[in-house]
Amino acid sequence: MKPIRNEKLRRTVRYLVPFVLAPGFVALGITVFHEKRYAFISLCIAVSAVALFATGFDKKRTGSRRLVIVSVLTALSIVGRFIPIFKPVTALTVLTGMYLGAESGFLAGSLTAVLSNFYFGQGPWTPFQMLSWGLLGFLAGILAEPLKRSRVLLFIYGIIAGALYSFIMDVWTVVWYNGDFSIKLYLAALVSAIPYTVSYVVSNVVFLWVFAKPFGEKLTRMHIKYGI
Amino acid sequence: MAILEIKDLSFTYPKQGISALSGVSFEIEKGDFALLCGATGSGKSTLMRLLKREIRPLGELKGEVRFEGKSIDELSERDSAFRVGFVTQKPEQQTVTDKVWHELAFGLENLGLRSDEIRRRVAEMACFFGIEGWFDKKVSELSGGQKQLLNLASVMVMQPDVLLLDEPTAQLDPIAASEFIATVVKLNRELSLTVLMIEHRLEEALPVCDKLIFLKDGALYAFGEMRSCVKSIMRDSEFLNYLPAAVRIFAAVEHGSACPVTVNEGRKYIEAGFDDSIKSLPERETPAHGSTALEFKDVWFRYERNSGDVLRGLSFTLWEGEILCVLGGNGSGKSTMLACAAGLHKPYSGRINVFGKRIKDYKNQMLYKNCLALMPQDVQTVFLRNSVREELEDCDISALPFDLAPYYDMHPYDLSGGQQQLLALAKVLSCKPRLLMLDEPTKGLDANTKAEFAAIIRKLKAAGVTILCVTHDVEFASQLADRAAMFFLGEITSCDETRRFFAANSFYTTSVSRMTRGRYENAVTVEDAVALLKLNGVRK
Amino acid sequence: MKALDSFNPLAVFVYFMASAGIAMFSMDPVILLLSMLGAVTLFVIRREGRQTGTHLFSLFLFLTLTVINPLFQHNGRTVLFVLNDNPITLEALLYGADAAAMVVSVLYWFRSFSSIITSDKLLYLFGLLSPKPALMISMALRFVPLFRMQAKRTDMAQRALGKYKEDNAIDFIRMKLSVFSIMVSWALENGIITADSMAARGYGTGRRTCFSPYKFRPQDALLLGLSLMLAGAVGAAMALGGLEFAFYPTVSKISPDFLRLAAYIAYALLSFLPATIEIGDALKWQYLRSRI
Repeated sequence: MKPIRNEKLRRTVRYLVPFVLAPGFVALGITVFHEKRYAFISLCIAVSAVALFATGFDKKRTGSRRLVIVSVLTALSIVGRFIPIFKPVTALTVLTGMYLGAESGFLAGSLTAVLSNFYFGQGPWTPFQMLSWGLLGFLAGILAEPLKRSRVLLFIYGIIAGALYSFIMDVWTVVWYNGDFSIKLYLAALVSAIPYTVSYVVSNVVFLWVFAKPFGEKLTRMHIKYGI
Repeated sequence: MAILEIKDLSFTYPKQGISALSGVSFEIEKGDFALLCGATGSGKSTLMRLLKREIRPLGELKGEVRFEGKSIDELSERDSAFRVGFVTQKPEQQTVTDKVWHELAFGLENLGLRSDEIRRRVAEMACFFGIEGWFDKKVSELSGGQKQLLNLASVMVMQPDVLLLDEPTAQLDPIAASEFIATVVKLNRELSLTVLMIEHRLEEALPVCDKLIFLKDGALYAFGEMRSCVKSIMRDSEFLNYLPAAVRIFAAVEHGSACPVTVNEGRKYIEAGFDDSIKSLPERETPAHGSTALEFKDVWFRYERNSGDVLRGLSFTLWEGEILCVLGGNGSGKSTMLACAAGLHKPYSGRINVFGKRIKDYKNQMLYKNCLALMPQDVQTVFLRNSVREELEDCDISALPFDLAPYYDMHPYDLSGGQQQLLALAKVLSCKPRLLMLDEPTKGLDANTKAEFAAIIRKLKAAGVTILCVTHDVEFASQLADRAAMFFLGEITSCDETRRFFAANSFYTTSVSRMTRGRYENAVTVEDAVALLKLNGVRK
Repeated sequence: MKALDSFNPLAVFVYFMASAGIAMFSMDPVILLLSMLGAVTLFVIRREGRQTGTHLFSLFLFLTLTVINPLFQHNGRTVLFVLNDNPITLEALLYGADAAAMVVSVLYWFRSFSSIITSDKLLYLFGLLSPKPALMISMALRFVPLFRMQAKRTDMAQRALGKYKEDNAIDFIRMKLSVFSIMVSWALENGIITADSMAARGYGTGRRTCFSPYKFRPQDALLLGLSLMLAGAVGAAMALGGLEFAFYPTVSKISPDFLRLAAYIAYALLSFLPATIEIGDALKWQYLRSRI
């Protein structure tokens, strides 16, 4: 097999797992299995997707500078999570994905989730937070070019990201508690989470609005001066 | 055989006309302790970074560096990484991991060693450095000095043959700095480790080194065995400031042939060579006190309800128009005092008056408008923009007693330490303070930059600004202050006119004072000593 | 009692995944009761901080979750009463209690889990999987306290420079944002020093190993082996349909057949395994001390 095709295949697999396989497994678990097994199955999928990404990242030869910068951004969003009500976590993850690539975005997002939960409480929701934040960062990395070009798109992405995070986490909450996906419970969960969803959306937009430009400048400077 | 040979080394940074280094050649023998000196921007750090492939800056390189007779470009990745160790000046940023044991293991993990081998080497190193006591701690719980020792230990654990140190003590207080240098000397003496160190604190490092290398404008200015090299450069006024006090006295009085280097040698030199009929210089007049600029009355402060007191009944007065330097060890509460004076912390008892008015009576941030300003210890906490020009936007540039114009287009983080200090000072002065407070302003500055900074502060004083400076740099305080005070365990234990203050202290004082103690009464600075020696004349 | 702190993280991790995992996908009330008892006992005897607060919160959560289900789920034969034309059934209430017991017991398991699996143990577990993210975790954990400290310093420096113009909320937010921005610059620029320090110590020159201060001792093998064996037994019983349990339309009766009893015994042993270890260790120490 030629190296290019090999590379393509690897990329296809990498894209397939988070976007097709993982949700597919969840859907399969919900429709086919009975009782509560899919809570466990979806948990397995979340953990395995995160693990897959982590190992994928490890294969690539990453320079120490890039590695440090991603860790720095992760630490910044952990520190940011201590800010009351307005959380810059998603915004920072999105910016990491945009400027440092999809994988970095995924790692920054998922590591922020697992590490900040040492302060905010670990639980079975941890893998799902890792997956949701990771995917938001990953997606921002794939959409990097259009997002960098248009601020409007960036804000729209921020709004969607905020809502999406809430929607994903509520699916998990309902499935975990009820053992079955119940649309009534889901709607109730969504409604009760409205204040949170609003705060996610608002903080995403505010922080993206404030940080997008200076962040771009700072990371561009890093790129020119230190070749990151 | 020379372990390091530098042959005709030149280097130019990208997009810059002038070369940072040109035609530098010298050799370092195995087991040498060599000091690399020179002014800021003379190319010291560039040179050091060229000696290790992994940290070589981007740019155009000519000439060759040879390690054990082999060009460093021909070394294997592992040899290059592990046989030459490197420690730089920032203790905080060099540690990679969060735990002490993991930091020690980090290099060995990169070597690909197995866990039991790592455990053995780490244990050995922890014993040698005496760090078993904090082996399980988090790095963030260590003091600056401990962090720097940890950085050294975590390089030594890889058993390098050469150690490169780039101003390792710049961010440390004097006690921690001495301890660090003593450890390096021990490594050199007991393990015949070859050391190349960039250092400003020559008072301590110079007497123990074998070789000196002086750079000037990117070229080799002097190189050789320590004592001969000292003699050859002490006629150059640009370098004189870097040298220990004994050498500077020797250079100024022009008597005898053997140049003293340490305090002890300086004392013997003075006792053997000069009369002591005139014991002291005339007392300086203490200027009449104006009104008070800052007053602490029995101030008590603690950070948390259940923690210990940091300020314990602190009382003192700062008069308008004077420069007061407060000296004291690390953690004695000096910086806390400044933060209280600047209204950043609220004492639980006692009262602080600024220009006769209680701090709490300054409403709506009026305390910081044409009143007082605090220059922080870490000046990087004030830089917000992408260029010096933008940083200075709301400053009145014409009123500054110094010029930043050459750096307008640079990024604040690309400036040298001294330049960053001046940029921060410009920002601090933009709120037109009548009371300026400085927290450790000389940290990491070389001798000439310190002297320039002191001159600027004196200009500010002449313009009517009152200055309160907290420092552990006794030499700087002896040059700058009108009055000096000793801070110990949350209060001021002594406060006097500068020369009287240092003459009265026995240990916590300038090296000139220690050198002349008992023989002369109030010689504190090199100038004082030289004046006294000239008055007394050579012993017949 | 903190004997579990000295166990190998991998064994502890597998244990918690087994005990909490089974609780998460079993509906059998006896299993959940055992899970609850085991988790609470462990939490209590390890004397983790804020005992009363945690118990009160758990009780509140348990009651809320129990009540929520019948409000949304109207299946079940035994109608207790009718609310807004919707029947509230006993079965739905019991189902709610069942699910609530699952949630609360899993929360208790995780409380003890995060007190035993501290961040450096997590690092070790990640290191088994792949060294690079493990290193990133270590760096991020190093940076968090550093950044919090620096953020405080920056805020004080800005205040003392008179950058807070007025005492009002908008100015406050504006300043907090610029403090964060200064922090970002500072963190990125100084990160380069960290990166150089890594490169200088040979990062990226070859295959990196992951040093672990944790040994794998017989006690770890025992914990790991027992966890896998007991969890396997319960899992096998589940797969064979031994733990089927339904709430709707009526709550099933528990028939004491062999498979079910075996699963209960296995899970009871699993659930009380860590508490047994803690108590056994404490007794051992008491005995050893009595001989001094």
